[in-house]
Amino acid sequence: MAIWFYAPFFIVGLYSFDMININRQIVFTPSLVHYSRVLSWTGAMGIFLRSLYFAGVTVLLCLLIGYPVAYYISFKIKKYKDLFIILFIIPFWVSFLLRTYAMMSILDERSFLNTLLTSLGLIDSPIKIMYTDAAVILVMVYDYLVMMVLPLYANLEKLDKTLLEAASTLGAGPVRTFLKVTLPLSMPGILAGFLLVFIPTVGEFVIPELVGGPNNYMVGNLIYEFFMGARHWWIGSALSMLFIAFILSLVIAYVRKIGERGLAF
Amino acid sequence: MNDVFSVELENIVKRFGNVVAVDHVNLKIRENEFFSLLGPSGCGKTTTLRIIAGLEEPDEGIVKIYGEDVTDVPTHKRNIGMVFQHLALFPHMNVFENIAFGLKMRKVQKEEIRRQVKKILEIVKLEGLENRRVNQLSGGQQQRVALARALVIEPEVLLLDEPLGALDLKIRQHMMVELKNIQRRVKTTFIYVTHDQTEAMTMSDRIAIMKDGKVQQVGTPLEIYYRPSNTFVASFIGEAVNLIEGEVRENGLVDTSLGTIYCTESLTKGRVAVMVRPEMVEISDKLHDVDNLFKGTVQSIIFKGSYIEYRVDVQGNTFIVHKHGSAELERMHHPGDFVEIGWRKNSSLIVPI
Repeated sequence: MAIWFYAPFFIVGLYSFDMININRQIVFTPSLVHYSRVLSWTGAMGIFLRSLYFAGVTVLLCLLIGYPVAYYISFKIKKYKDLFIILFIIPFWVSFLLRTYAMMSILDERSFLNTLLTSLGLIDSPIKIMYTDAAVILVMVYDYLVMMVLPLYANLEKLDKTLLEAASTLGAGPVRTFLKVTLPLSMPGILAGFLLVFIPTVGEFVIPELVGGPNNYMVGNLIYEFFMGARHWWIGSALSMLFIAFILSLVIAYVRKIGERGLAF
Repeated sequence: MNDVFSVELENIVKRFGNVVAVDHVNLKIRENEFFSLLGPSGCGKTTTLRIIAGLEEPDEGIVKIYGEDVTDVPTHKRNIGMVFQHLALFPHMNVFENIAFGLKMRKVQKEEIRRQVKKILEIVKLEGLENRRVNQLSGGQQQRVALARALVIEPEVLLLDEPLGALDLKIRQHMMVELKNIQRRVKTTFIYVTHDQTEAMTMSDRIAIMKDGKVQQVGTPLEIYYRPSNTFVASFIGEAVNLIEGEVRENGLVDTSLGTIYCTESLTKGRVAVMVRPEMVEISDKLHDVDNLFKGTVQSIIFKGSYIEYRVDVQGNTFIVHKHGSAELERMHHPGDFVEIGWRKNSSLIVPI
């Protein structure tokens, strides 16, 4: 099982260290040549930084939208909390690709929304959002929001509400109670949400492929191109390995931070 | 006596759906008093406390703190301190930060905070533990942190919601004495909610007994023990009580199924119960100098350490008799023995049913 699970990863690793397969003859003389080419390639670095930026903004927006949602359901709704959470999750039962296509039809210049707004005279010309940074980020926020809300909600539900009462008996109003008690205690949820949104979005390639233009390439698209387009599996593999190392370091940092509480939130 | 009242509740009513949790409660709690709200679970004592704290809004009535109507004042603007049943210490803060929280909210200077925290840690005997995380402390120590956190802000009144419930017996007994000492030292009104009469009796200046949202009686531990205002209080307080139902014939005389019983004089009329505490009942082969005398049979004896508990059957009624003193061991009665039990008239009290 574990072998099957890790076999592709292992093969990619071998390719990244210059394994060559000529006419079913495997030639393997380990070399770092592909790594040095990737690391000295400023274009790749630029795309990597852009991926970080896109994923970072996406996480931030998911947090800004998701925190109030999770907070509201957990604190303000007394009855049928589960129902509200399920209502929130239902759109995410639809396939990820379908949701993205649906968003495309909304963001398109000739979309129903744009037509409606122009015909009502609310905007002069259709909003051009397809094939921009904004489109990529917007769709990523939409597709991954649930990954932020669920860990936050689980975290806030666990929060002992008498701590908030204790803060108020000590003279803290609602704002300071939130800043000094609720927010610090929801850090595990925020961190979990951060990881669950950041990791898939930083490696995302379908969304930039579909709604992004030539200037919205992300690391995922680059790796995809090397494997499927340029057929240069060695550079693609080196890129993948570096990317996996980066994600792994994030996860390790997270586990260290959370400590013995582990990955469960 | 011109009393200063720290907390006054006037006609407080609180409903949860169809349940009346607090039913027209009126209380006047004196300055620097150790006041307990005592009653079985679900009697409304915790809700009453939470109404004083402002954590629960009354449906009717007025809450006053030092004469000022605070009914509509939010919790964080009332100058109260509270110790919660499960303590509610902030898990992301150490001992110092927990205790300093209220002072920081009051924008006290850093140096002054340090000084006051040090002083309060001394009072609750936790010196040197400032930097411990709260989950590294024992139950008793956490208790003291919660107390220090609530006291350091010098509240006008300290509210305690069954704070000793989670501790084991020895530490609880120790903390009872400690709490009373701390209360004397800081000179603050303590309002203490508990279902444990030992806690209430040990520490309180006065106790309010509650049942079904209503206050049954307010009085000193002595008053509620020896002069309960009804049969509920009589049987709730104390380890055991003997209650014999009857009809008042005239002042101090009650006709019961056992005959006429002579009691302390009382103005109560109609259907009543005669109350006599087990330690007031004498037991012997032959009794003299008692106003009420009954012949009975010993049903059972239990050796309880400092006293012996007899159950004596008198014409189908079981009397509980407590006999103190080691000398009793030699003259012990045994099950089946015919004995006489009795008491003087001012040992029994007429209690309304």
